[in-house]
Order: sequence, then C-alpha cells, then structure tokens
Amino acid sequence: MLSMKNISKVFKTDLVETHALRDFNLEVAEGEFVAVTGPSGSGKTTFLNIAGLLEGFTQGDYFLDGVNISNMSDNKSAAIRNEKIGFIFQGFNLIPDLNLAENVEVPLRYRGFNAKERKRRVQKALEQVGLAARMKHLPSQLSGGQQQRVAIARALAGEPRFLLADEPTGNLDSMMARQVMELLEDINKAGTTIIMVTHDAELARRAQRNIQIVDGQVCDFTMYQSGEGHQGGERASEKPHLVTESHVSLNQDKVAS
Amino acid sequence: MLQIKPILSTLMRNKSGPILLLIQIILSVAIVANASFIISERIALMDRDSGTAEDQVFNFRLYTFDTNIDLESQIQRDIRAIRDLPGVIDASTTSMVPLSGGGWSSGYTVGSSEETAKDTEGAAIYYGDEHIVNSLGVELIEGRNFYEEEILTGSPDLATHGIVSKAFAKETWGDEPAIGQIMYAGDFGEMPIKIIGVVDKLQGAWVNSSYLDNSVILNIQLVNVFTKVLVRAEVGTLAQLKEAIPATLHKDNRNRVIEGFTLISEHRKRVYRNHELMATVLSMMVVLLLLITSLGLAGMVMFNIERRTKQIGTRRALGAKKRDIISFFLVENYIICLVGGVIGGFVAVLLGQQLMSLYSLPQLDLIYPLMTVAGLIVLTTIAVILPARKAARISPAIATRSV
Repeated sequence: MLSMKNISKVFKTDLVETHALRDFNLEVAEGEFVAVTGPSGSGKTTFLNIAGLLEGFTQGDYFLDGVNISNMSDNKSAAIRNEKIGFIFQGFNLIPDLNLAENVEVPLRYRGFNAKERKRRVQKALEQVGLAARMKHLPSQLSGGQQQRVAIARALAGEPRFLLADEPTGNLDSMMARQVMELLEDINKAGTTIIMVTHDAELARRAQRNIQIVDGQVCDFTMYQSGEGHQGGERASEKPHLVTESHVSLNQDKVAS
Repeated sequence: MLQIKPILSTLMRNKSGPILLLIQIILSVAIVANASFIISERIALMDRDSGTAEDQVFNFRLYTFDTNIDLESQIQRDIRAIRDLPGVIDASTTSMVPLSGGGWSSGYTVGSSEETAKDTEGAAIYYGDEHIVNSLGVELIEGRNFYEEEILTGSPDLATHGIVSKAFAKETWGDEPAIGQIMYAGDFGEMPIKIIGVVDKLQGAWVNSSYLDNSVILNIQLVNVFTKVLVRAEVGTLAQLKEAIPATLHKDNRNRVIEGFTLISEHRKRVYRNHELMATVLSMMVVLLLLITSLGLAGMVMFNIERRTKQIGTRRALGAKKRDIISFFLVENYIICLVGGVIGGFVAVLLGQQLMSLYSLPQLDLIYPLMTVAGLIVLTTIAVILPARKAARISPAIATRSV
C-alpha cells in the first residue's frame, strides 16, 4: 500500500541545513493500522506530510498504491490526495463558515461529483459518525469531539484507500478521545489503512503496529494484538534500523509500560 | 469547479467586509457610469466637424481709422493684395468666424403664402463675397457659388442670394430641394433671399448653441471701419503670413490696426477648453475611483488570504488544485462585483435622472452602466488574480501546522 525507500527530506536556509528525515524506510500493508510516535522534532509531521503528498522529499522513492510519487506534478498530487487519502487533523481544520454538510462536501466538490452523489456521500459519512441530524449546524456549535467526528466524516466521504491522522485526539478529553479512537478502529476494521501520528502511548498501543521515529529515522516495532482487546497485547520488536540512546530509552519506556 | 453555493454561504456568514466592498462598488459603478457618459458626451461635442479647413483657415481683425479714404475700395484692394501673397489659397471679408464665439445670427421667414409662413430655426449668418466658400474651405454639394456680379456691398438688408448649410436646408425644407427656395429676412414678402447653393457642413460661432450646424452665407461684402478677414492658406504658413499681411496692407495705408491672427483650430481649442477640462477632471476621477475600487478588491483578497491561510492549506490537502484556489477567490469577488454592479447600475440610472433634471444633461445611455460593470469584471480579475495566485502557492502542508 505504502512503500518508502531511503526517503530524505532536507530543509535548507542560507545558513542551516536541517535533515528532517534521513534514509527513511517504511512499508505499510493494505488494511494495517499503524501508529507513529516519537519525540517532538523527530520528523513525525514531516513523515506525515510526505506520506500524505502534502510536501515533497529530497531523495528516495515513495510508492503509494503502486504509483511512484517522486516528481509528481502538483495537479496529480492533488488528485491522489483527493481520491486515495483521507486526512484527519489535530485541530480538526473544519471551515468555520460552512455547515457540517458543506464541510464534508468540500473534497467531494474537488472530485467533481454531481450534487446528488455529493448529497448521498455526505449523508452516509455523517451517519457513520453519528452526526447526520446536525448537518446544518456550524462547527462552532459542536463540541471538540463532535468536530473531530465531522473531520473524520469529511475524510471518509471520499472513500479513501487510507487515512492519515495527525494527533486525532490531541485536542480532546479522554472520553472524547476514546470515542474517536473507537471510530478509527471501526473504520480500519472495514478495510481502510490508517496511519496515525500520536504522542499518546496508550492510543499507539491500540494500533496493530507502532513505528517510532527518532532523529528523522524509523525504528520499526510491530505490535501484535490478541483477541478483541487492544490493551496488553503481545508485542515483539523487530530489529531496529537505528539505535540511539534516546531511542533506546524510549523503547525501554514503551516495553516497561 | 465554481463552488458558488459554499462561497455564498461564506459570504453570508461574513457580511461586514463584503458589504463595505459592495457599497464601494455600487458607488463606483454609479459615478463611473455617469462620469463616462458625460465624458463621452463632451468628447462627441468636441469632435463635431465645423465643416471648414480648420488648420488652413485663419482670421484677423482690421481697424481702419482714416476717414478720408474710400473704405469700400480700400477693403477690395486689401483683399486682392492678400490673395496675391505666397501661400494664400483664398481670402474674403466675413461677418463671423466659425467657433469664435461671436458673430451674427437670425431666423428667417419661409412659406408659400402669408398664411402658411413660418419662422425658421436660428442660423449663423456669414456675409461675404464669391470667395468666402473657398476661403472657409467648405464643400458646396448642391447648386452654385455666388457670381461676382451678385455681390453687393454695404447693408446686410440688401442680401438677395444665399447659400445654406445642409442642416439648415433639411430643417427648413425637409426633403424638398433647397435650391430655388425663397426665404425672407423680415416678415413674409420682405427682403427675399433666393437659395442658390448648399454646403455640406458649416458651423456657426457658438458651440453651445442648439443650432450650431445651421448656417447661411449671404452675398454681402460688409464695409465697416472694423473688418473681419478670413484667409485660407497652406498649412504652416500662418507665422510667415502674420508678418507678410500687415506689411503688405501697411504699404497701402499705414493708418490701420491689424491684429488677432487666429486659426479656426485655435478657436476650437479655446471654445472647447471648459469641455476639455471637464472631460479631463472626470477622466481622472474615473481612473481614481477605479484604482481605489481595485485596491479595495485586492486589499480584501489579501486580507482574506491572510485570514484563511490554514483553510487554504486544508483545501489543498483535501484535493484542491491550484486553479481551484484561484477560482475560489475569483468567483467570490465576481459575485460581489456582479451584485454591486447590478445595484450600482440601478443607482447609476437614478443618478443620471437627477443629473438630467438638474443640469439638462441627456438621458444616461444604458450601455454605460453595462460597460462599467464589464470593465469592473476585468478590473476584478486583474486585482484578484495576483493575490489569488499567491494563495494558490500556499503549501498543503500548512494544514498540519499549528498556525
């Protein structure tokens, strides 16, 4: 589904060169639910941006659904984002002047669907997140958790192959966060591949696989889940691509929990 | 993807900025449409053809103080001497000079009997000899010029033959031929004048007159101590003739004052100066208003881009192409511009009606509000496209940043 090989991302200014990602390798299979964790400044957001075609990379190869993303035109990238990727942002990123239905409709308009098809998909997506009855409300009339559910509905409306979630529960209290997480798990069970960036170790454990990024490089740990519960599942670590002190300490911390 | 419905939703939920811009556009359309109309009216007035060879024909004034001379023969000698000067095409005395702002005018009586007699519209009167048609450079399109033997000297009341402008002929006799018609300088039957020729166009002296194109040339050479002389000469010879004419005339008799050499094209500039000034001031106002409106539009777009940076990034992340972002801002401003244009068009018509009643202006032609709105759409495109292109360059990665 997603394959990154030796991806590097360098931000250059006149004085400084910052390596946000270096020799970054990752394979994500279809239907996986992958959590991406790492300390601040480790390159999580850069990874998410590159994975979501929100920004380019300096070196390497990136294949999404078999398509080589390298040197893709802006229009083509936009079309792939629209058709194959659903985004869920930490700050929800709903458009405050549009009601819920209009917000969910935004990516569908860019896809060129007719009004009838847009209406059908908006209805279905809002029903999926339990907000169909409030489609004429403005985002400001909803709680944070409800707003994030609208954002999820917007991401789902285009029926994407995979979802990219950037700290989807970062602005929510624990109860709301749990509801959103359950929603994401349901979506994943229905077959959508999910990559979720999070700081929340507990949420990360509920994913099938946890990837840690440190200093722009990936350290890959697979977390196997047992039974229906996501807590306390057996986990086994594969060999890491990079071991640093900070990474080791993170790793130990994770194992200890 | 025009996205008109969501754009309308956005506009309806953020009314203050768009309403201010709308008011600005309404006022701009109302003022620009009327100002453009007045400018074009003024330009049309200034562009009216006098019918004469304006760059060739000039006049001067000749004052003769010597009471011991035969004035009539003096004038005839003077005119002949002028005609013989190098560069001179023709010369004649005249009662008035086209576009000069001063001269003679009168109405006449026409009709086949006392009962059916009626007054004509007013007309400028040129008294002159058989050289005046050529001296003015007007085109004789029907009939003939005066014969030398038909020219009378002295009182204007002696006139027997006339050449009229086509406009006067049309207004007086309609589709009937003007040649051979009789008009009377007094009441019916008094001082008959026979029409022997029609010139294509000859304007009078007063550019604001309602009968500017009505002119009559009569077969009288005026004999006065104060004489106006028309000279038609090769283009570019005025400076030389300004010296040659006084020198020649003073050789004959020094007791004269010769002054006021002015080309008809210079008279034109002078009499239309106020019209030109008004057209210039209004043009500057129109440009200024359009500039302010386009700055308002560009400012509003830039403000909205600044305010919606994250939203634009989010739209890009959700699949908007650069052209979708550009079209979003264009459509948003086209909507404001069109609504403002339609309301502004109505206000322009109302304003035009007020101007019509207060200042006797003609009724505003609807093409002007329509053209103003069309121009405003072009202006909107220019004012919006650059900031919108800048907005389209906002990275979709902004969606994941905490800005």
